[in-house]
Order: sequence, then structure tokens, then C-alpha cells
Amino acid sequence: MKQNNAIYSIINSRRYFRDSERFVRRADVESEEGGCGVTGFACNIPVSGRHIYEPSVQMHNRGNGKGGGLAAVGLTPNTLGVSQEILDSDFLLQIALLDESVVPEMEARFIHPHFNIHHENFIDTIDDYRDIPGLEVRPPVVKRYFVRVKPEVLIDFQKKRQLGMLSLDKVEEEFIYQNTYTLNLSLYSSLGEKRAFVLSHGRNMMILKIVGYAEQVAQYYKLDNFKAHIWIAHQRYPTKGRVWHPGGAHPFIGLDEALVHNGDFANYYSVSEYLKQRNVYPLFLTDTEVSVQVFDLLNRVYGYPLEYIIEALAPTSEMDFDKLPVEKQHIYRQIKTAHIHGSPDGPWFFIIARTDVRNRQFQLIGITDTAMLRPQVFALQKGDVEIGLICSEKQAIDATLESLAREDARFGKVADRYWNARGGSYTDGGSFIFTVKEESPGHMGLTCTDKFGKVIDVQHDQIPYDFTKTMTIQTTDMKLPGDVFNKLTQGDIYGSFLYIKERIASWEYIDIYTLLNNLTSMAASNSHKDAIIGLLSMLLDRRYATGNKRHRSILQMLLDALESIFRSVPLLNVDTAPQTYRRIDFETRTMLRAPSEAEEVLVADANLFQPEGDDSFARLLSDAYSLGWKRFICFGNRGQRFLGCGFGPNSKGVVIDVYNSSGDYLASGIDGLEMYIHGNAQDQLGQIMKSGKLVIYGDVGQTFMYGAKGGEVYVLGNAAGRPLINAVGKPRVIINGTALDFLAESFMAGDPHNGGGFVILNALTFDSKGNVIPQDVPYPGSNIFSLASGGAIFVRDPFNMIVPEQLNGGEILPFSLRDWELILPYLKENERLFGISIDEHLLTVEGEKRHPKDVYRTIRAAKLSVLSGSASKLSINEEWVAGDHVLHAILPQSGL
Amino acid sequence: MESEQRKFNFPDVIRTPSRFRHTLGKYRIVINKSCNNCGLCVKLCPYGVYTKGVKRPRVVCEHLCTGLSCSKNSYYCVAKCPERAISLTINPSFEILGDKRWTADLLASTWHMAETGEAPYQDLNYKTGDSNGGFDKIRFVFPKKGTTRGSHKDSDIRQKDVTVADEEISTEIELNRSGDTRPKITIPVPFYLGGMSFGSVSIITMLSRVRAAVAMGTFCCTGEGGYPDELTEYDDHIITQVATGLFGVREETIKRVRIVEFKYAQGAKPGLGGHLLGDKVTPRVAHMREAVEGSALFSPFPFHSVYSVEDHKKHVDWIKQTNPNALVSVKVSTPTDVDMVTVGSYYAGAHIVQLDGSYGGTGAAPDIAKKNIAMPIEYALPKVHKFLIAEGIRDRITIIASGGIRTAYDMAKAIAMGADGVCLGTADLVALECIRCHHCESGRGCARGIATTDDELTGLMELEWGTQRIVNMYTAWRLQLIDILKRLGIKSVKELVGRFDVIAHLDYIKAGEIEGELD
Repeated sequence: MKQNNAIYSIINSRRYFRDSERFVRRADVESEEGGCGVTGFACNIPVSGRHIYEPSVQMHNRGNGKGGGLAAVGLTPNTLGVSQEILDSDFLLQIALLDESVVPEMEARFIHPHFNIHHENFIDTIDDYRDIPGLEVRPPVVKRYFVRVKPEVLIDFQKKRQLGMLSLDKVEEEFIYQNTYTLNLSLYSSLGEKRAFVLSHGRNMMILKIVGYAEQVAQYYKLDNFKAHIWIAHQRYPTKGRVWHPGGAHPFIGLDEALVHNGDFANYYSVSEYLKQRNVYPLFLTDTEVSVQVFDLLNRVYGYPLEYIIEALAPTSEMDFDKLPVEKQHIYRQIKTAHIHGSPDGPWFFIIARTDVRNRQFQLIGITDTAMLRPQVFALQKGDVEIGLICSEKQAIDATLESLAREDARFGKVADRYWNARGGSYTDGGSFIFTVKEESPGHMGLTCTDKFGKVIDVQHDQIPYDFTKTMTIQTTDMKLPGDVFNKLTQGDIYGSFLYIKERIASWEYIDIYTLLNNLTSMAASNSHKDAIIGLLSMLLDRRYATGNKRHRSILQMLLDALESIFRSVPLLNVDTAPQTYRRIDFETRTMLRAPSEAEEVLVADANLFQPEGDDSFARLLSDAYSLGWKRFICFGNRGQRFLGCGFGPNSKGVVIDVYNSSGDYLASGIDGLEMYIHGNAQDQLGQIMKSGKLVIYGDVGQTFMYGAKGGEVYVLGNAAGRPLINAVGKPRVIINGTALDFLAESFMAGDPHNGGGFVILNALTFDSKGNVIPQDVPYPGSNIFSLASGGAIFVRDPFNMIVPEQLNGGEILPFSLRDWELILPYLKENERLFGISIDEHLLTVEGEKRHPKDVYRTIRAAKLSVLSGSASKLSINEEWVAGDHVLHAILPQSGL
Repeated sequence: MESEQRKFNFPDVIRTPSRFRHTLGKYRIVINKSCNNCGLCVKLCPYGVYTKGVKRPRVVCEHLCTGLSCSKNSYYCVAKCPERAISLTINPSFEILGDKRWTADLLASTWHMAETGEAPYQDLNYKTGDSNGGFDKIRFVFPKKGTTRGSHKDSDIRQKDVTVADEEISTEIELNRSGDTRPKITIPVPFYLGGMSFGSVSIITMLSRVRAAVAMGTFCCTGEGGYPDELTEYDDHIITQVATGLFGVREETIKRVRIVEFKYAQGAKPGLGGHLLGDKVTPRVAHMREAVEGSALFSPFPFHSVYSVEDHKKHVDWIKQTNPNALVSVKVSTPTDVDMVTVGSYYAGAHIVQLDGSYGGTGAAPDIAKKNIAMPIEYALPKVHKFLIAEGIRDRITIIASGGIRTAYDMAKAIAMGADGVCLGTADLVALECIRCHHCESGRGCARGIATTDDELTGLMELEWGTQRIVNMYTAWRLQLIDILKRLGIKSVKELVGRFDVIAHLDYIKAGEIEGELD
């Protein structure tokens, strides 16, 4: 009861804000919508704010300078001019001054009477904002105060607001919260002219926002040398053009948390009503603001643990709910009953940065909506430094790591793990948390957990390579191991790969480095370039045991080696002897020409190209194709999109290899060409593709092959949400992993045995030694093959874990010999591409080889009455035909 | 600012009567047996209602009779008949024809225009319907007869009645106003024809519309069912529709055309995707869409790859990459934040935004969704127009209004309320003699062989006939538009955009206070 009373008393203490509603007029509030991209990372060492913007700097057209903001948590005391103690215990009140003359009044009313100020200053900026190219609006002056509430003020507040049953530290937190609210109300909302508002007030946390590009915040406020453990940022996409001050921009604050948000929800009013019932009256009228207010309410007022807060925001339902343990079901049901109206409905993805004062830790939290409508990627890297990243796109993660690695080589360019969350699931709860906390005196550590507290970690028994060390090759003229050299020169790429694969676990990094160095030199001198690129790609793509070496370090070495080889290819405009390979990059893009006699392969460097538009990398490729090029190697990708689009019909014979971090929409609309993506792929791949071959050596993102008409597709890893949705015709796809949910919804691909399409779902993954192992469940989602009217899914499900409740109009049938004969050729190609053996991996269950019919199951469409031509409708016409004379009398005399 | 009048060769009007023996008309003429076959009525009637007959004259073109108002004319057959054998009454069939939006008068007027290329002379109301709302409550305020209006609001200066030649009035509009590097496209009439998919309508219907659009120098949209091969020779005048089911969308159908349209939503059923019920998924339709014959096709509501506004920009960029020259049009319904949606589309790179209001037609929709959900177009248009002006981007995007534009007057009103042009649908079908019986969704339900792919019913219409009917109707519309512009003293339809001062809403005016003639 005491707990309840504490909650009630805080809520009650805010009843004085009821009147504030009438001060907030919608017309006055210039708030923003949605969001373009959100990004965040948490690191066990403080890092500079510059790195949060690296991805944005590359992609200037993502936001267009209409608003950006960032938050930093876990700051460094000396750059702020305070001691660690003050930084830890004081509230960092940071206020944006839109009209500097307000300072005396503001301080007289809201600062001096209440607070002991331990430090204050105006944030340093560059002299003239116009020196930053493209920054059109002067960012606000920002003043910062480190404060604690004066004890007598606190006691007085506690008495007046009847907060007697709260401990003084909680009273202080509530005071800060209410003081900020009153300040915002007085100096921002209720006036015609906005004069000031609080950017942030949490402990060890600060927020800045401007009307401009996100990286301009860092430039203007001189954050390049400002370091923090956690950074989050948001770049705004404008649906409303004119904003002259950044009050409505993200991030928004609760108390000690900052939230950025990608998406939009439909029930803003419902959530606002829910908040108003608890005396929380939003001032900025955006979904982002109410989201973080709900978070603060559940966290600080209700005192819920993080797991329950996540559940309230993204409730578990359908099959996921059924799979929860019974005690959790009881609790979750209570949470839903009490808080469902505060749960945002629609596409949303939140990134929250916060200081968890009582547990003396900082946290970066990503939460995704239960229908998986927004893309999100999480990544983890641990070595000498530990970092967790959350972004809307994988390529943004890679760009951040690259930026960090350039400054500090303890960071690797490749993360140890990348994954997607499954919103509202029983598996991970749709949320992952990176916690930074002191593990030993003076040393912070980072831990990654999901909603339920399960730890996600790296292989600590594998040591990453220290790229800060300059590698000295011990024997400069060490030849390639003879066998490798022989096989390569004979063109036996697979043989040379096998040789290395069998030994690499026992090699040291230096051995790998030496080998790669020799291969690079060989290839640069044009000897067996094809075979070497093929070998290195295979080492990149396949999974194998790496012994005590961290896989990502090997990947980084391979990527560096490949880049080195690609860069050594002569540029198109360089005069040399006839070359098979020619290179083109951003600087030389205007020199694009048709291939001459000997030239076959165009090596295209994506660096510096726009991700889309008339001057994009994708346009370069389609232009090159129309000039006659057919073989492409695309490297240096940093999120470039649409590769392979615009090639038009009948592009058979074209082969495109893609390396590094490719972007969205690759291979959409292709008709005949082959594309090989050496790594993870992003969202909207293969949309409407008609024919051709697509191979992805990794995972693939959202709405894969939406509306596809055909194609032969092989995916090594997992697909995200809604793969193959609305696909028709004859696509033939193998997904060796599984999908998040909504696989093959509205699939209409005819009869698979008669030229139609199908998906083979193998539900496999790899362990840390590169062995093929089955996933925990073949399909974790609640919806498979919903509303489909054609095609089939052949799923590897030897333990019959897929149940009819997961279908919505499909039916599970026994897998027939005829089905096996249909898919066998594709499985053979799958084996050739990925090394997933039919006999050893697919047909072997728990060590025992089985007959295909005991391993695979078939899902086909059942005849749905809602989809079939209904007899009752036909009867109208049948009457017409039969009873002509009857109708003739009724119809007007129109000569029918 | 005079716009350059392109010398576009508008097609000729060719008289194209109904394909059926008796065209439905407003009046019923019966000659009883007291007739002595004197043949006077045949000689008198200037409209060609009668021809000679063996026993008595035959009433061959009832629909051309000008009606009861003819009683003031000297050639009024009823009065002149020596035997008083002619009876002229309202056709009873006419009274049950039509509905409040498409009244019998509007249907018959449209048929008349489709036959003759001219507005009806009969006493048919060809300007407004009977819906008691929407465009039917809005009137133009023309200067009183004998005066013309200056282009400015302060028309105290009454100018002399200057006769302006039709050729000097410009009805053209520009579709790409963004200032980007993609081609400019000017169409000589301020409209193009909306998407009706193959499957929802027959190939003859589709081709008639397309060829009429070609003749009028404008465009016709494929609808969401794919791009039949028969359309290929008209590529330059086709708009490929990319709808949420992505049916029939392939790179070549995107690359061939000059305009690509994203159909996000449809005014008739906002929140729902396209519907093609099982009966209409015939083998040919299934083949075109690569789907399963006999199985209903529901397009999803959202594009599954677009769940937020930046996804929308990515989507537009994808089309722009696939076709470096095409213009992009975005068709949306009219939710309450339609102004924000429009601005968002502009920043996503759209050249044209088509606002499809709630009066729009559909071949199939669940009863629960039919109409009256989205904002009516006459609310949406001024809202969007004014918002874009405030944002400073009104002149960089083309706004097209659609959904229940039935007449040249609806079209002109829509433009006066803020649209640059309109997109048309049902009107075309009425020109092809649709009687609005609402049986479109079943496979063999269309009485006129328009909304069907059944071979036998499709055969009810001939391609040349269909093409010319639509050409005639739009010719009549264009002449009416020119007339409206002349009466307002405007020389170009571009100057009519957003002229709220020349229209009035009947519910909000006091009759005596209007200076001018309401029409």
C-alpha cells in the first residue's frame, strides 16, 4: 500500500498543472514529425561527439538541415569544469535561450531561489554561425548550470506538495521535473514569443538541438573534443518546412533519460489522454515527447523495472504471449490492463540514453514496435574497448565504427555481432540494452542484455587482432604455402579455400597477414587476379573455425586486403597496356566510357557517391551497363542504394559483386542479372524483381522481395520482417536462417510444381566454430504464409514445431518425394554457394541421417472463402442468363 | 502574364451515336394511331427526332428532342400536328435513372456530349448534380451579362464586351514545375485520365481511354493491374501506376513511360487497398498480374516498404533511379493531415500530387468502406493550396484533384479551389454509355461491357467507337472551360488556380449580396 500511496502522491503533486492545457495552442507549436534516422552508441571509454555524426556527414540528403539534435550521457568532468563528484550528483540543467534577455528573469524565477549552483557557464561556440556552410539559422545560446536543490526549498516543496512519504532524493527528482515544466510553460508555451526552454536536466547528461544538420551541432558547439560514454542523435525529415527554432526537435527528456524516435504513431491522442489522467500535460505536442513521458512515468513514478516498462510500451501478444512462462503471463496481463492506452501504436523505434543513478550505471536502450514496422539493427563489439551500437541501418553502424577506428585503432571496423530485435517477442522482447558500469576501479565495462536480462556476448576466448600494432612481416619473401599457390594457379579456388580453412584455426594473425599480403601483391601485379579475388571473397563469405582468433578481425583483414587489390586496379582514364580490370571512382566518374576490347570488369569505388539521385553510385552502374560493361565489382559502399536498378529488361549476362556496407533496394526490379552481396544486406532488396540470381552471404533486412515476380535467390542468414510479401509468379528462394515474422504474406506464386514459386526455409545458423547448427525454433513469428493463394513454403522442421495457429489460411502438408525432387537442384546450388551440405547438415538430425520427408514439411495455400470466386455472386448472373424475359420487363427500355 | 499557346491540333469531333438502337433520352415521344402520316413533324423538327415511316413516322432519336420548352418554338411538333397524334412526356425510365451525384440529367448530358462534342441544347442540367453538397453547392460568380471581368478583384471598371477568340484562351498546364532536370511536360488540357486496371475494365475500355488521351495530347494511367502489351504503342501517353500490390510492375513498365504514379490510397476507400474479386481474375488477368486465376486479389493498404515518410522518399528515389527521365506522381486520399502529406511528398521528390477525394469511384469495395470516409475534395483542395503557399512551394508542385469530377464545371471549380488540374475516371465510362448500375465488381455484371474482361461482354464495344465518344466528350468540356474563362475575363486556365473570389458556396452567401451571376 505504501508503494501505491507513493505513486499516488507524486501524481497528485502535479495536479497544479491541469490548467496548463489551455496555454498550449496547437497552432503555436512547431513540432516535427517522424524522424529520418536515429542512431546511438554506448562505449566503455568516453568518445568524441564527432563520431555520432560520421554516418550523417556522408549522407547529407538524409536530413536536409531542418533540424537535428543529440544527447550525451556519461560525460567527462574536466571538459565541463567540474569534479567527478559534482558530475555524478548534480543535476545538469541546460537551457536554450532563444531570447538572451530572458536570463535575469529566468534565473530570478527558476534558478536562484531554488538551487545551490555549483558551476555555471554559457556553452562555448564558434564565433559566427555563418562560418559553418549550410547553417542558415543561428543556433540558440545555451547556458548550463550544475545544481542541487536547496535543502530548505526541498522540505518546503515536500510539505506543500504532500510528498511526505517519499524519500528526499525522490522528492528532489520530482522538484527538478516540476521546475523544468513550469519554466517551459512560462517561457515557452504560454507566450506568443518563445524565449527559453530546458534542453535537459538529468544527471550526467546533456542535450543540444538546432535547426540545421546534425553534425553542425557538433561544429557549432565545439563538441569535437567533448567526450561521453553514450551518444544518441536524430536527423529530422521535414514534413513541415518552416521551423525557426529547435524546440520541437528530438531528443526529448523525462528526468535522467533522453529519447529519440523513428516513426509515427497513430494513437497520439490516446497516449496523451492516458498521461493526462496521471497529471502529465505534454507541452510540445509530438509523439516523441509523450513517449519519453510515459517512460519516465513508469520508471520513476510507478517504479517499474526496465522489463516491465518495455512490456508496457511494446506488449507481448499472440503466440509470443503463449510461450511466456506462466508467472510472466500473469504480470504482463496486469501491465497491459493498466497501461495499454499508453502503449504507442504504429511504426516506431525508440533509442533511449539514460543515467541510472541508483545503480551507478549508464544505459543505451533500443525498443522496437511489436509489428516490426521500422528497421533497426543492433551491434556489439568487444576487445580492448567495448561498444554497443543501435541504428536504423546497418551501414550507419559500420560508418560509425569506421570513424572510431580511424581515430583509435582499438576499435574494429567490423562488429562482432549484428542482429535485429523482434518486437513484442518472448525471445528477446524486442529490446536490447547496453549498460556501461564500473567493473573495477577506474575501468568501465559494457554489457548487452535483452528485455529479459539474457546476456548477449562475444567469444571472449577468441582474441581480436590489435590493429594498433604495425605488422612487420617476418619473412618478407615468404612465399605462399605451395599448395595454395598451386591450386590458385590452376584456378581451383575452392581447393585453395579448403586448404586455408583447414589450417586457419591454428595460424597466428601474423600468418594470415603475411598470406594476405602476398596475395595482395600477386593480384596487384595482375597475376591470377580473378582467382585471388575469388579466394578472398570465399574466405569472407564462408563460415569456419578460427581458433583463438576473433572472426571480425579476420573479416577486417580480408576486407582491407580486398580493398587494397581493388584500389590497385588502374583507373579508366589512365593510359596503360590493355587491362581486363578497370577502376572508376567519384573523382573520375565523368570519364565513364565503353569497355575497350580487352576490358571486362569494371571495379567501381562507391566512396563519396550520393546514396541516391542523379549523381549516385547506382546511376553510374546503370550508365556503365548501357555503355556495354557487364561485370562489376562494387566496393567501398557506405549505404549506397539501388545498385542493379535501372538496368532494364533482359540483363542476363551481367554479374555484380558487392562488398562492404551496401544500402537499401539492391537488385530491385532486376531481370536476368546476377548479384552477389558479400556481407549483410539491408532493406527492400529485390522489390518486384523479375528474374535473375541474387546471393546474399549474410542476413537481409525488411520486406525482402516485396512484390517479386521471379528470380533464383539464396540467403545465407536470416530475413527480417515481411519477406516475399505479395510476391507472384515464380520466385524460388532459399533462406538458410529464418525470418522475424510475416513470411510470404499474400504469396500468389501459382503452383510450385507447375512453374510457380516457393520458399525453402532451413532455419539454420552457425556456432562460434563455424559449424552448422539448427536454430532454436524454425520460425519464431506468429504469422506464416498468411492469406496466401499460391506457391509453397518448404520448411526444415524435423520436430514439427510449426503449428497450425501460425498459419492464416495455409495448411501444413506432408512433404512428398515430388516436393523433394523440385527443391533438390536448388539445395545443391545452395551447397555449392554456402557449403551447407544436403547430407550432413540438412538431412542429418541430431547426428542421424533421415529421409527428407522426416525433415521437411510443406505449407501450401488452403482454399479461402474470402479469396475464392464466390458462388453466391455468380448466381445473380445465372439468373440473368436463365430468366432473360423476367429482367427485360424491369430494365429501362434502352435497347439492350 | 500570357501563357504561350501551343498550337496543338485538337482532334475533330465525329458524331458518334449510341451503339444501341434506342438511346435513353429525357423525353418520351409517342405517335398514336390517329396519325395520318402527313410527314409534317419529320419536316419540322430541326433536331432529327423523326424519320419517314411506312405507317407513321418513326421516332428514331428521341434523345435529341429538346423537350417541353420547345412549346415556344414555331416548329413545335406537338402543336403543329394536324391530328394531335404526338404526345411528349418525361420518359419514365429517366426518372429511375441515375442517383444524386450522377443525376439522370448529367448522364444524358454526358451521353449527348459524347455523341456530338457539344454541350446539350435540350433542357438538361449539365453543370450540377443533386447531391446537396460538394461541387453542387458551389457556383461560379460571373459578371452580369454584358460585361466582362478584369483579372483583378476590383472590377469596378466595366470593360466593353470584347469578343475573344477561342484560340487565344489557353487551357494548357505544366506538369513538371519543380525546376529539376527532368523533362517538362505540358498538356494542352488541364486533365489526364485516371487509373482503371486491366481486370477491373476490359481491354477495349482501356484502349479507348488511352487513345482518347493520345488524341487530346494528355495521359492515361494504367491502374494497378499491369501494363497490357496493347498499350505499348502509346507509351508516351501512359502513366504507369505502382500500387501497393505491385501488380504488373516491372522495370520495363517503369522505364517506358514519361510519368510514374504511386498509388498510396484511393479516395473511395481510404485505408484499404485495391480489390479485384475472384470472378474478375480471369486467366488473362491472372496472367498479366502473375497471380492465381479465380482467386481474389487484395492489395495491401500501405506499401509494405513504406512505413514512414523517409521510406516514401526512398521509394520515390527508387523509381527515379529506374527511370532517369520520368516524372513522379503521388496519388493519395484526403486524410485530415493531407496538407502535411503533400508537403512530405514534395520533399520526397514528387512532381505531382494527386488528391483523390471521397467522391471517387471504385470497381469494388467492401460496403463498410464505400465513400464518406476521407475528406471531401472541396475541403482538401483549399487546405492544401493555402498550406503550400504558406510553405513557399506552391509553384513548384502540380496538384491534381480527382474523385467525382463529373463535368467541365466540376473541373473548373476544382481548379478555382486550388488544383492545377484534374484527373478523371467515371466520366469516361459514362461517355461509353455506363448507366451507373453498380454491378462492376462481378465478372459478368456490367450491362455495357465496360467493367468486365469477359470476352462476350467485351465484344459489345468497338474500339473506334469508344475512342471517339471520349474524345467528343472532352472536346465539349474544353469548350465549356474556355467559355467559363472568357466570362471571367481570364485568358489562361493557369490563372484560375486558387481564385476563390470567383466562386461562392450557396450555403454561405446571401443572394442579394453577390454582384454577378451565379452559374
